[in-house]
Amino acid sequence: MSDTAKVSAPPRRRKSASKRRANWFVASFLVLPVALYLILVLSPFAQAFQFSMTNWNGTNPDYKFVGLENFKKLFTSDLYSVYLIPALKHNAIMLIVVPLAVIALALFFAFMLNVGGKSRGGRMRGVGGSAFYKILFFFPQVLSVVMIGILWQAIYRSDEYGLLNALLAIFGVPLKSSGWVSDPSLVLVMVMIVMVWSSVGFYMVYFSSAMASIPAEIYEAAMIDGSSRVQTFFKITLPLLFDSIRTAWIYLGIIALDGFALVFIMTPQQGGPDHGSEVMGGVMYNFFSNGQAAMACAVGVILFFFTLTLMALSMRLTRRENVEL
Amino acid sequence: MATVTYKAASRIYPGSDKPAVNKLDLEIADGEFLVLVGPSGCGKSTSLRMLAGLEDVDEGAILIDDRDVSNLPPKARDIAMVFQNYALYPHMTVYENMAFALKLRKTPKAEIDARVKEAAELLQLEDYLKRKPKALSGGQRQRVAMGRAIVRQPQVFLMDEPLSNLDAKLRVQTRSQIASLQKRLGVTTVYVTHDQVEAMTMGHRVAVMLDGLLQQVDTPRALYETPKNVFVAGFMGSPAMNIKTVPLTDTGAKFGDTLIPLTREQVAAAGEGGQKSVTVGVRPEHCTIADTGIAVEVELVEELGSDAYVYGFAELGNGNGAERFVVRAQGGEIPRLGEIVHIKPQVGKEHIFHAESGERIAV
Repeated sequence: MSDTAKVSAPPRRRKSASKRRANWFVASFLVLPVALYLILVLSPFAQAFQFSMTNWNGTNPDYKFVGLENFKKLFTSDLYSVYLIPALKHNAIMLIVVPLAVIALALFFAFMLNVGGKSRGGRMRGVGGSAFYKILFFFPQVLSVVMIGILWQAIYRSDEYGLLNALLAIFGVPLKSSGWVSDPSLVLVMVMIVMVWSSVGFYMVYFSSAMASIPAEIYEAAMIDGSSRVQTFFKITLPLLFDSIRTAWIYLGIIALDGFALVFIMTPQQGGPDHGSEVMGGVMYNFFSNGQAAMACAVGVILFFFTLTLMALSMRLTRRENVEL
Repeated sequence: MATVTYKAASRIYPGSDKPAVNKLDLEIADGEFLVLVGPSGCGKSTSLRMLAGLEDVDEGAILIDDRDVSNLPPKARDIAMVFQNYALYPHMTVYENMAFALKLRKTPKAEIDARVKEAAELLQLEDYLKRKPKALSGGQRQRVAMGRAIVRQPQVFLMDEPLSNLDAKLRVQTRSQIASLQKRLGVTTVYVTHDQVEAMTMGHRVAVMLDGLLQQVDTPRALYETPKNVFVAGFMGSPAMNIKTVPLTDTGAKFGDTLIPLTREQVAAAGEGGQKSVTVGVRPEHCTIADTGIAVEVELVEELGSDAYVYGFAELGNGNGAERFVVRAQGGEIPRLGEIVHIKPQVGKEHIFHAESGERIAV
């Protein structure tokens, strides 16, 4: 007894020492990424909060603390609110329309590609050529946003060489003289179409793989239970994809809150005409490049809280019991 | 309630010349419990899925109550199916799972409720109606799958290996429950399994399949006593029948130094096509350990309590060397490993098959 105790004691001490060493080893891997995250992500966040309450223009070292003056100006002063208010409105619209449209279209395509084909003989399969369509629809995903912007600029051209105008001409629709993106009431719709177009492919593939993980027997059971294709979609497929849809919604929300690059490339006056396509990111950029860095920071802070609220809200509203397949 | 008829029904998968189910002819009577059994890949599941409408009928036809359903979608066939992995809807409660088909048919709420409650009572699921499938045990899920089929009150029940995901004890228990439930409901049932014990114990009749071809359909007892060919003989019964090809003489089969006497007609039938040998099958339970007979060197003894199975090797003098042999030994006289025992096949209990075609040669 005492012999074994004597023998077993040293290894235990050695073990804890080796454990401590292992912890240091693990920590050493974490130091660099955590430090980078602190310096490059969190500290700018904190600084943005700080600068948003000053009159910093981006270069003056003698900036002063002004409290919430900048925020007040953004919402009330005609000079600033003409940017911020439409931007908030547009981002809110995009936040609803873009995820809804993308998810609806992606789900429809994914369903068609996976289980929408002829079902004679019971085997669930997609429509003919589904492998080809999958690649085709995914294509926008490999293009950079700048490419997409330029591509659609060409499609939306206001003269008869624009693809959209040329197509409409075939059906005898007269040339729209004001152009597509230079009409303040249309420009936001036009931008949203591009956002939807560029996202649908990715989410179609995403939902496809989620659908593929639903066992075929469940579809077969539903078929035998007398469920039509539409009923199967709404009563079986959709509820089982709930988690994927929620994830997609959050990602698409983030995309919708941005939209800056497309607006910047495609629209006149980068947010025009007549503030018809202002987005938060664009407003921030404009203030910053006009020597109003503090204002830009204030917009960033507003966007931060806007996003935070939305995410908390959507997580809260869509919380529910997980479904195991 | 309905009859089911397969009329030369075939299923040929695209890209394959060999039919998965080859001209299946089968008549299932109203209220019958028919078991389709065979090794994996024999086409039993495909046959069932053809009846369900989940597989095409490429040739021939399938009739339910004299109505050709070959080209009807599953929902128009009025059948209910129990899947091997149950295929319960994971996002629905037990109640919703069972009510789903009725809801789709726009059955009045009160009737749905009554039927689900009734089935739940029958299957002892009343306490679990509000649970989701993931909160149930395997046996409970299996019962929910059964319940989902029962509430439909279909013409035919289809069951695709519904017990193979259960543990051994539960399987035996559920086996008898399903059989008695079927008897009580009186619904025509087609049941697929690879387990010949399940087939023997549950089916009114058993259809044995191999390579897409129906081998024999008969009552379990008839399959056991008069298997139509070597495959059926070897497949039904556990442990499997000892099937040996031995020299044929003018008066019988030379089984080692024992002669199994055959009638003149049998000898003539066995010798057809110039055969010099004959295939003889003896079940382990139809051999007796005696002082004389075929010498078997014991290699393994499976002690089951009431009796024991003795596995060994025997020279049968047919030029094949030592061949495997299984014998059932009664309680008292269990041989030891390495021992040489002598066994005698019981007279009249042997099965005779043609050595080449494997077909049974009747007495």
